[in-house]
Amino acid sequence: MKIVVGISDMKVSSNPDDVLITYSLGSCIGLVVWDPVAKVGGMLHYMLPDSSLDRGRAEARPFMFADTGIPSLFKEAYKYGAIKSRMVVKAVGGSQVMDAAEVFNIGKRNYMILRQMLWKNKVMIAKEDIGGTVNRTISLQVGTGTTILKVSGRGEFEL
Amino acid sequence: MSRLEEILNLVQHVPPFPKVAQRVMELIENPAVTARQLAEVIQYDQAITANVLKICNASYFGLPRKVSSLGEALVLIGHDTLKDILVTSSSARFYGGNVAAGYHLEQGELWKHSVATAIMAKLLVRHVKGVDAGSAFTAGLLHDIGKRFLSSFVADDFKNIMQAVTQENIPFEEAEKRYLGATHAEVGALILKRWEFPVEMIMAVRQHHNPDALQQDPLTALIALSNALVVSMGIGTGADGLATRLQGGGIKRFGITQADLDLHMAALVGEMDRAQELLHLN
Repeated sequence: MKIVVGISDMKVSSNPDDVLITYSLGSCIGLVVWDPVAKVGGMLHYMLPDSSLDRGRAEARPFMFADTGIPSLFKEAYKYGAIKSRMVVKAVGGSQVMDAAEVFNIGKRNYMILRQMLWKNKVMIAKEDIGGTVNRTISLQVGTGTTILKVSGRGEFEL
Repeated sequence: MSRLEEILNLVQHVPPFPKVAQRVMELIENPAVTARQLAEVIQYDQAITANVLKICNASYFGLPRKVSSLGEALVLIGHDTLKDILVTSSSARFYGGNVAAGYHLEQGELWKHSVATAIMAKLLVRHVKGVDAGSAFTAGLLHDIGKRFLSSFVADDFKNIMQAVTQENIPFEEAEKRYLGATHAEVGALILKRWEFPVEMIMAVRQHHNPDALQQDPLTALIALSNALVVSMGIGTGADGLATRLQGGGIKRFGITQADLDLHMAALVGEMDRAQELLHLN
């Protein structure tokens, strides 16, 4: 079954027939995790780096922010039997509009916090496709761990 | 006929903006106008009447209870809300079907982008002196209307346009200009002119990809900023992606901070949930 992950949303599955997909990542980040032994896959589509911006909103929508969404994704995958040391992690998105003043650098801030958090927790990023001015769509086949990335202007390919 | 002539010819044949909307705008200038007088005008257009009821029941407009008749709706809603509802309903018909396939947008996505930009403009309008919320909303809904009419031309030259964008790192709009002779912003402005919208709204549509838009008149700045944020969020963002230029330093002029932008983006996610009914009008 195709399971769509919306903006500020997260899904985890251990059904080998499921495909997790998130559309139209601009400055948002799509974070994909997969455990090849437990055959568990998860996907997070977060929009902003830091939940301290609005605690109330972060409580209602933890997947909106990197600092609340990323731990949730890993914890949920563990519930399905995934183990951190086995997990394959991929990240895409983090684009931004062209602005020398960097006022619209949401994408860069989203990526920086991801790097920091994964570094702190000793998690490596296996594959990534980050930045630029492109629009991205990513899908994960839960049974095989295959991730297909579609990038505006570059077409569709396996990541 | 040159490509540009073909495009301009197409604009000459754009169907008119629904008369009902303009007629009601005129009527509500008079504070003594009655709900009955308004109903008589609106009922004339069945599609709009049906949409007004649907939109009234959208939680976005926050009516205290569900309404089932136009008369009931007109008693409950204020004139500002009525304006927004009529513009939404009238605009929706131009975004039905697969109108932006040339931009690699699925059906309904250009409309979703337009509604999101309108709502973002209304969220940001409190920072921008000299713009009323109704104009912000309307300009947001219509800023990309040019895409609907440029879509098939973009499709014809898609390879060239994308190559220029990816290899030369130029804004999508610049590539439109190079290969088609006109941009979707310029085409949109021509259409709004034909529809006799106010000059500041025509300007805002024409300039919404201008890198210096934040330094220009308030409505122009507001729409360019709203569009940049909605595009960043990926709502109805197509092959053009985030390939647009905007000098962000201009937000200081309005006392807007980067944290304000983050807060408004966060707020838009919830607002879009409340506006779901608006997405299914066409």
